[in-house]
Amino acid sequence: MTSYSNQTSSAARFTSFLRNYYIYFVLVAVVVLLSTANLDQFALFERGNFLYKRNIINILRVSAPLLVMAGAFTLLMVSGYIDLSVGSAMSLSAVVYAMLAINGVPFIPAFALTVLVGVLLGAINGFLVVRLNITPVIATLITLSLFKGVALLLVQDGVSAIKSDNFLKIPGWFNDYGRAKVLFDLPAAFWVAVAVTLALIVVQNRGKLGKYAAATGGNPTAAKLSGINTGRTVFLLYVIVGASAALAGIARSSFMSLGDPLSGDGMELTAILVVLLGGTAFSGGEGKVLRSFVGALIIMMLTVGMLTIVPAYYQTLVIGSALLAAAASNHLVSRKGKES
Amino acid sequence: MSSLTENIPQSLQREKMSDEGFITSLVVIVAVALFLVASLLVPNFFQWQNVVNLVTNNWAVISLGIFVSFLLVSGNFDLSVGGIVALSGVLSVWFAQSPDGANALSSGLGMPYPLAILCALIGALAIGAMNALFVVRLGIPSIIVTLGTMMVARGIAQVITQGSQRNTNLPDEFGFLGNLTMFGTSVKLPVVLMLLLFLVAVFVERKMVFGRITYWIGANPEAATLSGINRSWHITKLYLFSAAVAGMVGILLASEFKSGFSNRGTLMEFDALVIALLGGIAITGGFGSVIGMFFGAIILAVVTSAATGMVLSPDWQFILKAIAVFLAIVTQTWAVARRNR
Repeated sequence: MTSYSNQTSSAARFTSFLRNYYIYFVLVAVVVLLSTANLDQFALFERGNFLYKRNIINILRVSAPLLVMAGAFTLLMVSGYIDLSVGSAMSLSAVVYAMLAINGVPFIPAFALTVLVGVLLGAINGFLVVRLNITPVIATLITLSLFKGVALLLVQDGVSAIKSDNFLKIPGWFNDYGRAKVLFDLPAAFWVAVAVTLALIVVQNRGKLGKYAAATGGNPTAAKLSGINTGRTVFLLYVIVGASAALAGIARSSFMSLGDPLSGDGMELTAILVVLLGGTAFSGGEGKVLRSFVGALIIMMLTVGMLTIVPAYYQTLVIGSALLAAAASNHLVSRKGKES
Repeated sequence: MSSLTENIPQSLQREKMSDEGFITSLVVIVAVALFLVASLLVPNFFQWQNVVNLVTNNWAVISLGIFVSFLLVSGNFDLSVGGIVALSGVLSVWFAQSPDGANALSSGLGMPYPLAILCALIGALAIGAMNALFVVRLGIPSIIVTLGTMMVARGIAQVITQGSQRNTNLPDEFGFLGNLTMFGTSVKLPVVLMLLLFLVAVFVERKMVFGRITYWIGANPEAATLSGINRSWHITKLYLFSAAVAGMVGILLASEFKSGFSNRGTLMEFDALVIALLGGIAITGGFGSVIGMFFGAIILAVVTSAATGMVLSPDWQFILKAIAVFLAIVTQTWAVARRNR
């Protein structure tokens, strides 16, 4: 009898250990896999070494948009809500940012205005969900369509994206945010993503918002009864997600040197994928910002790494399967943890 | 047993039905009113042929909408249908292509066409079974599962077509089903099938145990289980039916265009959901009607075609869709709340 209870408690300890740290093992495994695989013949992985500096820099700066969104999205999902409009919000921000820049607005005002647009987009989501009480999935599907439509409308007919033409030129500084080496040869966009993530880690572990988010996701009624303004918490989280989607849009737009109204398509799926991969329960209540950040790194390494091994048309299948696998394993692990 | 199940729901039904009937007739009235408004604004809109077009142009989405609606009524999403349309279409082409093509994309498995259709349908059902497995057995939220299976289905289609399409080396009878006109008019077989399916769905929903069980599950899952309904099996069946219809749509579209295109059906899952929501089906479950979904499709068609008629850029369609769904949800919630006050 005693040995049995010992067994269960050690099993419980094991599952909780697994739940907290498995993502780092996956990260190491992916790095090892990609570094040992023979990638000589591919141009992207110069000199056949995954751990080659330029390759790592390349992956990290391509990842900036996803990394900057992962943290905020985690907090939102921890509170039991979801935002399917992040991809469209990102596209719209990218278009707005490029439009401002091409019309002569300097870097800092353009940046600030675009983030403000993101805040507004998030506020729209928050308004629909909190004030009008529309189911999050439906509300953000509505805004997915809305933001995408606005982004497409802002770009003239017959042109695929905001880019330099005969009359207007994208200014020279436009590229710097996403590409210019600032620190350790990495661009500002990456460091902003790191800073945002660090800030959100502090918010989650020390701040009220983090506690409220977890309480709202864990048991909304109990949270409300203990005096938490769940409505305001959720609204604020949507605003933060909107702002981070705008940062992602700026990073992508700057990296690509254009404002593409389709650049964020499918980003909502990738965001859900990395958050689930990070072990956040979709029923809400638990999850860690840092683990989603690592999840985002893993997904980006895999997608970039995969491009060198298999043709691009395998990507949808692999991401879809990864999403299902992450959802299933996440579910099984978290259920085991709860049962014991 | 039968007297027991008949007694309980009927007392429940009477009150619920009235709200439902109210919303459904509201949707019908809005559809007709919008058509009349569009007729005033857009030249040549008020024509019989245009009314026919509104229905025939949307046969695919309406067909998909039927089981998407049933699933919504039962409290579940199905966003995988667009992916299944692509998959089954590509599969039917790949299976039917003769194996002696010049390159990889022009040679298939060389099955006889009926067998190719059957196998493509089995492929579609496999995705439906996957939905059911993850949603019912593992209890993972249907929105995430069906987004995942949508990508898996489309991903397989992309791998088979290498990211583009297969349209060569097909047997002559391949284009028959999708282009068969009926009754000496220009109405094609898929449209007639859609209407038949719709009528059957209305009958099942109103008059058959299968339909009523769907409502009970959506209205109160716990009570449904406690009263002896096998909820898992019922949802599984709904996902399988939905996948089968999506598979059929994919095969008919592939036949109509004589090609298997991996991007066909993109956004169809969203449109099917949109028309169901426009038609007054509530995502909270247990409320709504396939009839509403049908007229929801008409509303969307009127709005988008009127917008195109008024020379708005096609980019407007996303905004119009968003506004339409938003208004539909807000007014429906408001109307029901006001009515029951």
